[in-house]
Amino acid sequence: MELPTVEELADQLQDVSGAESIDVDAPLQKISDVDSLDLMEWLYNFQSEYPHIPADESLFSDMDDTTTLRTVHGRIVALVAQPAAQN
Amino acid sequence: MTGFDITGWGMSVPGRVVTSVEIADRFGVTEDWVVSRCGIRERRFVSPGETTASLAVEAGRAALERAGLTGADIAHLIVASATPEQLSPATSVFVQHELGVAGSAHDVNAECSGFVYGLVTAAGLMALDPRPILLIGSDTHSLTINPADRDLSILAGDGAGAIVLTPSPNNWMLAWNLGADGSRADSLKIQAGGSRMPTTEETVRKGLHYSEIKGNEIYLNAVRYTVRTVRATLESAKVEPGEVDHILPHQANIRIINSILNHTGLPADRLITNLERYGNTASASMPIALTEALDDGRVSDGELLLLAGFGAGMTWGSVLLKWGGEPT
Repeated sequence: MELPTVEELADQLQDVSGAESIDVDAPLQKISDVDSLDLMEWLYNFQSEYPHIPADESLFSDMDDTTTLRTVHGRIVALVAQPAAQN
Repeated sequence: MTGFDITGWGMSVPGRVVTSVEIADRFGVTEDWVVSRCGIRERRFVSPGETTASLAVEAGRAALERAGLTGADIAHLIVASATPEQLSPATSVFVQHELGVAGSAHDVNAECSGFVYGLVTAAGLMALDPRPILLIGSDTHSLTINPADRDLSILAGDGAGAIVLTPSPNNWMLAWNLGADGSRADSLKIQAGGSRMPTTEETVRKGLHYSEIKGNEIYLNAVRYTVRTVRATLESAKVEPGEVDHILPHQANIRIINSILNHTGLPADRLITNLERYGNTASASMPIALTEALDDGRVSDGELLLLAGFGAGMTWGSVLLKWGGEPT
């Protein structure tokens, strides 16, 4: 199943937010020029591009000042792995 | 089937201006932060004595005057609102009484989609009974906001807008689409005050009579559903996004509006917006923006005007109008 890399996620978020750069290991809440609406806009695009991945707003539901893009990528990987593990 | 002409329009907003500087100060953020989140620089809040019905009456009166009619000429009054005058009876009966409307009166509550729902309802009613209809959107969400809730405090504004529809052989409404998804009812709500949770001292103490929003869910689904309804309406009318002359979305949040434009391919330079000055006035946002656009002479006969919105529920809807209509 096609799955974006964390670097690809960073590029997508950069396009949406207009941020100069996205450090995939920086807490999302501390990246300047990225706010929660940017994350939702990124998610909307992600859902359109990867309709087979059941990602929704719960990706960010418990976001705190330690949550990074790499964390989010890990959650997406887990979402993809979950159905396979259940089979 | 009888069509309609839109022969009157009007609006009313409270005199009290609340700037984003004032709200930013309350929450320890900057005006720029508020504007970057929603695009709103100021909004109007009601003062004591101003209500959903009083704003609706003023807007309705202006629309009737523009149409050269009086309340006695109106066969049906529809008031779209989610912030009623009181729980019962309907807001529309207070407006009916003040304006001397001769015919029926009922409310439509589809939250911020209410005006689009009301317009489609009015078009159907016109087909059944071809006599003048007064459609008003009026809301006072400033009264439902928890003063400690930053997300909603920066958005809400109060106001009312109205249009008069009169029977016509012309067809203005080229296509429409309405929808709802009640599984999203939790995204934006006022829990207390209804039959599920009657008002008690405890509900008031817990602030359950205030609006509550899950902002991320609303953003995501507002974009999703509005994009869908716009596509459905344009496909039904066989109109390409680039052919639409004026786009009048629910004035919710400039970030949501821009996202909808981006994902539908609707031209950004044809956007009608006054969000910066009035904030999100819910059911009133579209008729207020329409009134200003018409008063400015921005919409001409033969042009295509797309109304599109979403609201709590969630609900959504869109209507494609050909201004001046076309012969049926």
